[in-house]
Amino acid sequence: MIETKAAGSTGGLRSFPRLPRMPPIVSIKNLVKTYPSGTRALDGVSLDIQRGEFVVLIGLSGSGKSTLLRCINRLVDPTSGTVIFEDIDVTAADRVAIRRVRRRIGMIFQQFNLVRRSSVFSNVLAGRLGYRSSWRTIASRPSSADVAAAFENLGRVGIAARAYSRADALSGGQQQRVGIARALMQKPELMLADEPVASLDPATSHSVMKYLEEINKKDGITVICSLHFLSLARRYGTRVIALKDGKIAFDGRPDAIDERRFKEIYGEDAEEVEIGPERSQSQPMSPADAEARAIASDPR
Amino acid sequence: MAEYFTARGLPVPLELRRNPLTDWRKLVTIAAVVIVLYIGFNITSIDTGRANPSYALNIIAQLFKWDFSIMTPRDEFETFRDTAWWKMIETIFLGVMATAFAIVISLPLAFLGARNIMAGNPITQAIYVLARVIFTIIRSIDVLIVVIVLLVIFGPGNAAGVFGLAFHNIGVLGKLYSEAIEGIDAGPLEAITATGANRLQVVWTAVLPQITNPFISFTIYRLDTNVRLAPILGLVGGGGIGTDLFQSINLLHYGAAGLIIFMIVVTVATMDFVSAQIRKRLV
Repeated sequence: MIETKAAGSTGGLRSFPRLPRMPPIVSIKNLVKTYPSGTRALDGVSLDIQRGEFVVLIGLSGSGKSTLLRCINRLVDPTSGTVIFEDIDVTAADRVAIRRVRRRIGMIFQQFNLVRRSSVFSNVLAGRLGYRSSWRTIASRPSSADVAAAFENLGRVGIAARAYSRADALSGGQQQRVGIARALMQKPELMLADEPVASLDPATSHSVMKYLEEINKKDGITVICSLHFLSLARRYGTRVIALKDGKIAFDGRPDAIDERRFKEIYGEDAEEVEIGPERSQSQPMSPADAEARAIASDPR
Repeated sequence: MAEYFTARGLPVPLELRRNPLTDWRKLVTIAAVVIVLYIGFNITSIDTGRANPSYALNIIAQLFKWDFSIMTPRDEFETFRDTAWWKMIETIFLGVMATAFAIVISLPLAFLGARNIMAGNPITQAIYVLARVIFTIIRSIDVLIVVIVLLVIFGPGNAAGVFGLAFHNIGVLGKLYSEAIEGIDAGPLEAITATGANRLQVVWTAVLPQITNPFISFTIYRLDTNVRLAPILGLVGGGGIGTDLFQSINLLHYGAAGLIIFMIVVTVATMDFVSAQIRKRLV
């Protein structure tokens, strides 16, 4: 009985014509989410995401982007449909299994969601919680391997010097980079980013997006990132998925979104707004410069 | 100026229609206040006819002729436990113990009275409402009334005072703690959950850092208030230095009473200053 089932599922994967090499890292089938208020945030979404992709989710506010991201690590329980991460059915996973899935999926947020009163260092260490027992969380100090990893990841996003500061003493761009470092602590295979730059100015936005691009290209971490600005989507995405009223309105290469498609996604009255180009000044803007600007513009 | 609006067929703004000096609304308000105060004066029949300023000045002068004999045992039957300075320390600890008892009970109840913790299903929401109603009822009964009721159980003395004070504080601290819990930012909870942490780890890393400082701040504020209230408990038989104060006034020992009042003032002022300093550093 079990053998037939296994054979059946392998056969199903093989018969998929669009998957020549590997099975997708995330496979979503017919996902529906209806909130208790009656809002149908997702209305039958099906898609496969391959390893190494940089997927950008676009769509109007309320089109279901955040809900879709949160269904992947089940911060939101879908009403029906399935989400398969690797070989694990996330939608059917029990409490322990879902934690094991979550620790393989990093996530960053529009409001950064750092513990503001805690230090940058302890915020980054929190990324290891999925690998630690409750007892060790409460009663023991972090392992030297975790400490080393924390400083390495802080160094990668260029804020090792602020490790001892309280998280709320940092500027927005810096806080988002702490968020990235926290997610990297999980050694994730997949990174979910829920409008990571929506609270940041254009220069800082590019600096944060570049770190996401770097972990996607260098570490091979698959990224699914929701964005408001199409210009950012075109610049950083390898694939753009547009949601409209909980359904997929477009799925394809970023440069395939022309005027007509744009109006389909955002409505007839919409006009495209450009976020400032990456190098808005005469000199190229390095991440350090962007940080300096962010600090200068932020009284904290 | 009103012509500007009438010429254009617009309604004239109130500011232009009313003369600020003759507006009847203002006159009615002033008349109402005068009438209420006049009636109140008659009902309470405040009688200043029996006041005796020269006698009062004499008593006030006596209050400052401090009788230091109360600071040491006065005869062979008294020990240091009967001296005023010891009673003062005892009174401070009445406040401390009342605060401690109140914390133990209100801390767990506060989570039941926090909307964000109890959101979800109708049963927990009902518990939330119940907890908040209980806090409000407890808070609305004044400390002195609770102490008088408790005299029936414990008789006059420190027990009635401590438990009366503690009871009132369950209501106050419960409300303050609940509101601190309701004030936490839910974002970090979501982020820590997303790392694969379990519920205990989420509370430990994302909830506790957000509530410890408000909790400590509210607790010190109540400790301050309780030490301030403790000397008054003696008025109704709740123990502490208040008992000695009212006794010495009744026995016309104004020198002793004056010294006790001075000690209370120093204690309360010190607590007030220290508590403000600590809470300032916690924000």
